[in-house]
Amino acid sequence: VNRVLVVDDEPQILRSLRTTLAANGYEVLTSATGEEALAQAAASAPDVVILDLGLPDVDGTEVVRRLRTWSDVPVIVLSVREGQDDKIGALDAGADDYVTKPFAAGELLARIRATQRRTTRQGQTDAILRFDDLLVDLPRRLVTVRGEPVHLTPTEYGLLEALASHPGKLLTHRWLLQRVWGSAYGEESNYLRVYVRQLRQKLGDRADAPRFILTEPGVGYRWLREPDEA
Amino acid sequence: MGVKARRVSRKGSVTTTKHGKRAGAFAPRRRSTRRTWITPLGVATAVLVPAAATGLALAVPHDAAASAATIYLLGVVAATVVGGLWSGLIASVISFLALNFFFTAPKHTFTVRHAQDIVALAVFLAVAAVVGVLVGRLLEARYAAERRADETARLQSFTSLLLSDWPLGSLLQRAAAEIVDSLKLRSCSIEVSMRPDTTPLRAVAGQPSPSAGGAMTEATEATELTVGAETRRLGTIRAEMPPGRKLTGDEARLLGAFAGQLALRVDRAASEAEAQSARLDAEANKLRAALFSSVTHDLRTPLASIKASVTALLDSPEALSPAQREDLLRTSLEEADRLNRLVGNLLDLARLRAGALTPAAQRTGVEDVVEAVIARLRPMLKPFRVRTQIRADLPEVMIDPVQIDQVLTNVLENAARYSPPGSEIRVAVARFHGAVEVTVADRGPGILPENRERVFEPFQSMDAGRGRGGTGLGLAIARAVVEAHGGRISMEGAPGGGTAVVIRLPVAPRPELDRAGTAPFARSGDAEP
Repeated sequence: VNRVLVVDDEPQILRSLRTTLAANGYEVLTSATGEEALAQAAASAPDVVILDLGLPDVDGTEVVRRLRTWSDVPVIVLSVREGQDDKIGALDAGADDYVTKPFAAGELLARIRATQRRTTRQGQTDAILRFDDLLVDLPRRLVTVRGEPVHLTPTEYGLLEALASHPGKLLTHRWLLQRVWGSAYGEESNYLRVYVRQLRQKLGDRADAPRFILTEPGVGYRWLREPDEA
Repeated sequence: MGVKARRVSRKGSVTTTKHGKRAGAFAPRRRSTRRTWITPLGVATAVLVPAAATGLALAVPHDAAASAATIYLLGVVAATVVGGLWSGLIASVISFLALNFFFTAPKHTFTVRHAQDIVALAVFLAVAAVVGVLVGRLLEARYAAERRADETARLQSFTSLLLSDWPLGSLLQRAAAEIVDSLKLRSCSIEVSMRPDTTPLRAVAGQPSPSAGGAMTEATEATELTVGAETRRLGTIRAEMPPGRKLTGDEARLLGAFAGQLALRVDRAASEAEAQSARLDAEANKLRAALFSSVTHDLRTPLASIKASVTALLDSPEALSPAQREDLLRTSLEEADRLNRLVGNLLDLARLRAGALTPAAQRTGVEDVVEAVIARLRPMLKPFRVRTQIRADLPEVMIDPVQIDQVLTNVLENAARYSPPGSEIRVAVARFHGAVEVTVADRGPGILPENRERVFEPFQSMDAGRGRGGTGLGLAIARAVVEAHGGRISMEGAPGGGTAVVIRLPVAPRPELDRAGTAPFARSGDAEP
């Protein structure tokens, strides 16, 4: 049984999430404040934390930051559309994903499952990632589409590797830039635009009907597809 | 001639401004010389010109008193022209004495030996005085005419300034500058209140002395701005003189004329502002009424559906078939989404009204946002054939991606709302002069050209949004957001019927950062994978 800690100060949200999550086989813990959430995360070691950004005591981003000093537990942030900067702030502070309120139960469950898959995969990443007809051979740095090798520049390959090894996760511009270009980068989202465009073209992916790379305007990119089971 | 000489000597440089245009450079000074009894220049002229005439007359070989007298006479005329009437008269007396001293026997004394010389000297003095007075009067009359023309020109230039439709604040600023320029002031400050209860507008031109600071000093002259038989006081013009100068009567009169003109203009602005605010009030009231009725309707309708569906499910679940249950649940979901959109739009509208919807612009490609929105709206766009035409090599724009996402979402939702199922929705992104143009064209029923502007007004959706999930706010918000980005949004007719919403966003200035293909992108020591 997986344990989910839900942090929100709205009793109605807590109630509906408790019902939905319990019905899907999760053990549900709830907190109404940030301090309580941090204490509970330490005491009962949840597998996933669902965190509302607008808490009465501590700002949600601050909760993520403090949680990250000692825990790698996946955090899914709940936010309202207005707080775009809050979203990026929470992601940069170490949150794994966000879901915009109001959300569909199915969407939240899918995000929870994606973070869990990433957790279980950790440390035992497959050497070869297979996404339908796309194949990424990590040790040999080889990419094929429908068996045909695709020639990527080192930067394009670095970007593909960063995206494809975090399926389902929303990767912010800053995170991708620092991972692919280096720690001196962070603001140059136009680099990303150019390379994502090239990468899509080479992989045969379309931005307006994406199979692999989804653009989250102003925030970052998300690799859509889970790797096929070997 | 005299004028020019004076300008050189006074200002140390020759300016060649023509009269009437901006003659302010010297004209007020001349006026002040005429008014005062005699200036230092006049005294200097009165002394130096006869001295020069003496030198010249002595240099002439025949030292006849008669020819010397003509030279002195010339000097008197010159002194009058340069230094004015009194200067001429003093020069006459000095010339008379010099003529006596240097040229009548016995020379180098003021005694006169021959009786005819006494007569000649007396005649000379009389002629010199008469010539001086005549020339002086002539010049005075000419100066007066010039002065009047000059004043008229200045007043005209001031009036035409007032006729321009600058906002009152910058108009006052310009008026103050014009007054400083025109009257050669040290500074001029204007203070105006449109109504007694409003905070006054202030404008200062020139360099006010630290002591003045808007307050009255000895060098300051205040003129009230009044209209309507001096009954309504609108403000004050404070003119500060350079040290040691006072306004002449003419200047004071001109300042008064400026004040009168300005008061009329301020009064007009005040009544225009009043009319404008009345119009805005009426519009705001209309909008509030529309908002109230529309919001009441649009908020209650989805709530009613949700409540009806959910209570049906709660009350008698066993009476419903699985298909009916699903139908009720789907209705609830759709209505919840509709409510969410409405609330989102209302929040945006509230933020717009509060001026809080400032774009957090970043350099990006609008095509990225377009594609992301289409990707996200796929479920909603499923019944339509969506055709995207995105040109390669589009320049970047400065946009807030989240806000432009919202704009495109609203525009696409609008297109989907009015398109028959199976029809085509075309989304094109292309370069258009200095802008990137996004066109969303549908094959809906179309909108008459005369009604196309109205769709961007709040609560003006063509079927009032009833039954189609429209709130009549989406396009209004889209317009406000696009305009906040310095862009344009309009509705045009689409070929083959339907409408096309065209969004133009200005191209971002050239980046300083390198673009693709240059050094920062290459990872050194990395082989092709």
